[in-house]
Amino acid sequence: MIITRRHALAGASAAIAAGAFGGPAAAQASEVVVGTWGGDYGALLQSEIDQPLMKPMGISVSQDIANNDPRRTKLMAEKGSRRSSMDVACMNDIDSYTLSQAGILETVPTDQVPRTAEVLPVFKKPHSIPHIYSAMVVLYNPDKITTPPKSYADLFDPKYAGRVGYSDILYSFNMAAANIGAGGTPNDFSAGRKALLELKKQNPRVYPSNEALAAALKSEEVWISTMWLARGFMWKKGGIPIAWAVPEEGAIPILFEAGVPKNSRAKDAAFKYLNAMLDPKAQVAFAGKMGYVPTVKDAKLPEDLAKEISLTEAQQAKLRPLDYEFMQKERGQILDFWNKEFKA
Amino acid sequence: MPAATLVVPACLLVTALLVGPMVYLGRISLNHYDASSMMTEALTLENYVRAVADPYYRGVMATTLTMALVCTTTTLILGFPVAYWIARMQSSWKSLVTVMTLMPLLVGNVVRVAGWVGLLGNQGFVNAGLQGVGLIDEPIRILYTPFAVALGTVAVVLPYMILTLASVIEAIPRNVEEAAANLGAPPATVFSRVVWPLALPGVAAGCTLVFILCMNTFATAVLLGGSQFKMMAPAVYDQFSKGSNWPFGAALAFILLIATLTLTVLGSVLIARRSRRRVAA
Repeated sequence: MIITRRHALAGASAAIAAGAFGGPAAAQASEVVVGTWGGDYGALLQSEIDQPLMKPMGISVSQDIANNDPRRTKLMAEKGSRRSSMDVACMNDIDSYTLSQAGILETVPTDQVPRTAEVLPVFKKPHSIPHIYSAMVVLYNPDKITTPPKSYADLFDPKYAGRVGYSDILYSFNMAAANIGAGGTPNDFSAGRKALLELKKQNPRVYPSNEALAAALKSEEVWISTMWLARGFMWKKGGIPIAWAVPEEGAIPILFEAGVPKNSRAKDAAFKYLNAMLDPKAQVAFAGKMGYVPTVKDAKLPEDLAKEISLTEAQQAKLRPLDYEFMQKERGQILDFWNKEFKA
Repeated sequence: MPAATLVVPACLLVTALLVGPMVYLGRISLNHYDASSMMTEALTLENYVRAVADPYYRGVMATTLTMALVCTTTTLILGFPVAYWIARMQSSWKSLVTVMTLMPLLVGNVVRVAGWVGLLGNQGFVNAGLQGVGLIDEPIRILYTPFAVALGTVAVVLPYMILTLASVIEAIPRNVEEAAANLGAPPATVFSRVVWPLALPGVAAGCTLVFILCMNTFATAVLLGGSQFKMMAPAVYDQFSKGSNWPFGAALAFILLIATLTLTVLGSVLIARRSRRRVAA
């Protein structure tokens, strides 16, 4: 079920009524609200987790659909509330760190989420489970750019003036990629800022969403961009003329995670949901449809799919993880630079 | 039961749903931003000072004001003849035309804007049409421009202006126009000396309504203006949602509210004075 404004109002009315006539609404372990993205991600959660794995356990699932940023803000705003509006929150790794540091996420109990035993050790975290991952690559139009790019810095090449496109919602990751391309370090973005200000002179385009960027790539208005490999995989499957290159200097990994807010009133069911998200079959389905790589050891991908969406061992060894503490501390400055100096 | 008590439920509702949250928002705007906890309690004007002192936000406010004034003026120019035509219509089609005027409002804002995206995009209807008839070789950029925002906004607010003006024009007796014409006034003079002065209260009301709506444009600005075009409402949203900086977002929201309120009151007072002077003359 998708939560609409009407559902939300009905829910709010019910909550008020419960508060007035019988104290807080009794926790119902048979229902969980999952805060998630919509589109393919939300649909796959429904088809691979909600229906086949949760329904047989007698747990019904509702989705609270929003983008990452509003969800993080909502969880932070609800920190002091008696009840969180969601029981499971899907989020990227930066937000997972922020929410974990703010004491908003419950520690994941391994006895209630036994599938954590199968999680690749590098991804294990105390307050969340890793769901799927990918890496930021250089997407390009092979018809227009016949020599494949090698680095994030290729976007700065004057020969692509007016043909560089960015997705606005990935501003912090775009800045991090530009910073790596410009030779910056994870906790100092000054090289990236300088490079982006130079790039600005070449009239780069910023699109309001990933989908708008995909449309621009399709119409060949944009020839080159930084984007998740998984998105590239999906868009290529959808007929957009693109190829991708993993930057030689090392790619930024992106991990999409899920956690349970401390003020969830359906924690038992929520932890069951986290366990189901680590189901190997469900993770393989996400890989096949969306191009994101599984995070559990026992999820085996078909060989051709694995070759397409996975990084080689050498590329994995060169991954350039973000400094989460820096990204959290600098969130305001990063947004300000992106809005006020780069985009403006 | 005294009649005055009948307004109590409405007043309570407004207090609970409007004044209460605004007071809360006002209090938040005086807090201090903290990256890890979103805000810490304080009584500071730093967020207001930052918003006013920062050239970027002054630019965003200037864009918002310009867009609102351009759209309000355009709407008035486009809406007045239609409102006059509807007001003076004697035919039984009048109700149908009035309902048709409301048609744009029957579709949700985001859905309507999605339609504009389909029309104005590089592979949209307009570019395909222009390329089809050989007027252009390459698609021209219409989407993600201020023009697209103005177009989308005017389409939304036009019905408000038309219906507000039509109700006022309807109240102007037809015979005063006929009297002016009988005394030799050409149509332009009838309009400028009779219809326009008498319609000024409607112009004031329509402009006020439309100006407020334009100042607070959100979906149209984001989806048709793109990421590089910034108005105040999306800037407020950015601070709340992306930056998690509620105190600064709240300060920006209050600055937008104060600017809108001040200009609206000022505009209404000026038009009212002008109207009184004309009538007295």
